[in-house]
Amino acid sequence: MNKIIMHIDFNSYFASVEQQANPHLRGKAIAVAGKAGGDITRSVVTTASREAKARGVKTAMATWQAKKLCPELIIIPGDPQKYAEVTARFLIVCNKYADAVEQFSTDEVFIDVTTAADNYFGASMLALMIRRDLKAACSSVCTVSIGIAPNKLVAKLASESVKPNGLTVVRPHEVADFVKSRPLADFCGLGHSTEKRLAEIGVTSVETLRAVPRAKLINLFQSHGTWLADAAHGLATDILEDDNAAPKSIGHSYTFPHDLHTLPEIKKNLLAMCDRVAWRLRQQKMVALRLAVYVRYGNFGSDGCSKLLNTPISDGLTISQNAWALLSPHLNLTRGIRLISISVSEFRTIKLPTSLFRKDQKMQRVVNALDTVQTKFGTNAWHRASTVHTKFLERTSGWHYDHLAMANKS
Amino acid sequence: MHEFMHDPIEVTVSFCGARVKPTSITWNNRHYSIPHVNLVHNTLEGQNRIFYFSVSDATNFMKLRFDTSTLSWHIIELYAE
Repeated sequence: MNKIIMHIDFNSYFASVEQQANPHLRGKAIAVAGKAGGDITRSVVTTASREAKARGVKTAMATWQAKKLCPELIIIPGDPQKYAEVTARFLIVCNKYADAVEQFSTDEVFIDVTTAADNYFGASMLALMIRRDLKAACSSVCTVSIGIAPNKLVAKLASESVKPNGLTVVRPHEVADFVKSRPLADFCGLGHSTEKRLAEIGVTSVETLRAVPRAKLINLFQSHGTWLADAAHGLATDILEDDNAAPKSIGHSYTFPHDLHTLPEIKKNLLAMCDRVAWRLRQQKMVALRLAVYVRYGNFGSDGCSKLLNTPISDGLTISQNAWALLSPHLNLTRGIRLISISVSEFRTIKLPTSLFRKDQKMQRVVNALDTVQTKFGTNAWHRASTVHTKFLERTSGWHYDHLAMANKS
Repeated sequence: MHEFMHDPIEVTVSFCGARVKPTSITWNNRHYSIPHVNLVHNTLEGQNRIFYFSVSDATNFMKLRFDTSTLSWHIIELYAE
């Protein structure tokens, strides 16, 4: 049986939520960027309002560029707690109508409405009901674009095709023609580098992509070649991923308010970040075997490396020591560190054996006690003496674990 | 003008069923009535629940913070035209 998949995508999500909260921002060119109390000139636009988009402001554009393009642009620092709650309400509404829901990002979901809707007319009705409920539950200012199709790829293409506030239905017999009409850049899963490589072999549209033999695509792009050959005909998966699956990696990246030039500064920030990563890891009751660390320099060059560890890790100090051992041989301090990213993966749910050494046993007891404190009083309940002056400004996404923990419990 | 702060305020609220609606605030000895509550969201700091009210009048937007453990109100954000 063919499935009916709906893709729902909020239009200018963070900016719309800000316009909902503050009516004085409605109808104005605004951009959500940076962190409260931070230097906005070092940030990029996370979301631009419709009015700002009309002036050419785009997501991921540097704020100074956006201001140059649109001098009256109002820049609002992100408020992740606010967006997290609106997203939670969004998911409640979607779950009410769907057979299954896959949260694709903060502001977009795929929902399977095969049984709930029965047919494409029913799916259109459901879409209108969802839109009505979202208006009541989330915001009267926020709008969504909805795409309905037999699979996830085409549903997303459909929702992207009419913005804002669109509703696009692509029935199975319309898929081939619809896909043919879309630019390659709109395909989710077809990035800039693939697009560039395709252009080198003369592929600039779906029609020209269809003309390339499947074997040639596989030869050039390996397994991605199969996906490209299928995507050109609108063939893709209709299976929604389980949102409750355990995470595959946990990590954080942070752009500093100013470039870091000294080793103590870098080590302290790295340790504070590792403590946060470790806390999230322990919240999942997991230990990690792989560690990856990445730095971006003031001149936008970068270095990074990853390592499979001999012993699993779950505390911030050990993660930090391993990360430093990985990173320090590559560091070039004269260039200034603009961003550090740290992530752990290859998770195991085993309980770490108790160490033979009393010092390590004592440290484990301290970590357990601190976890209890953090559970009760929040992520910022304690700091190491060495990182007490290391502050991370809240940003649009990230550094927001208590609320996520709450969502997981509910 | 967009400012961030953490000033204690006094708040008058009305109760509508299970909902609480701020109707006026007193901040720095000045009284502001609140005609519009635009968005209410809550979060946890540890196990402590915090409510945020995004409210506005004809010229100001204010974000109010209510801490359920101390029953204290603060104004944390002000945007004025």
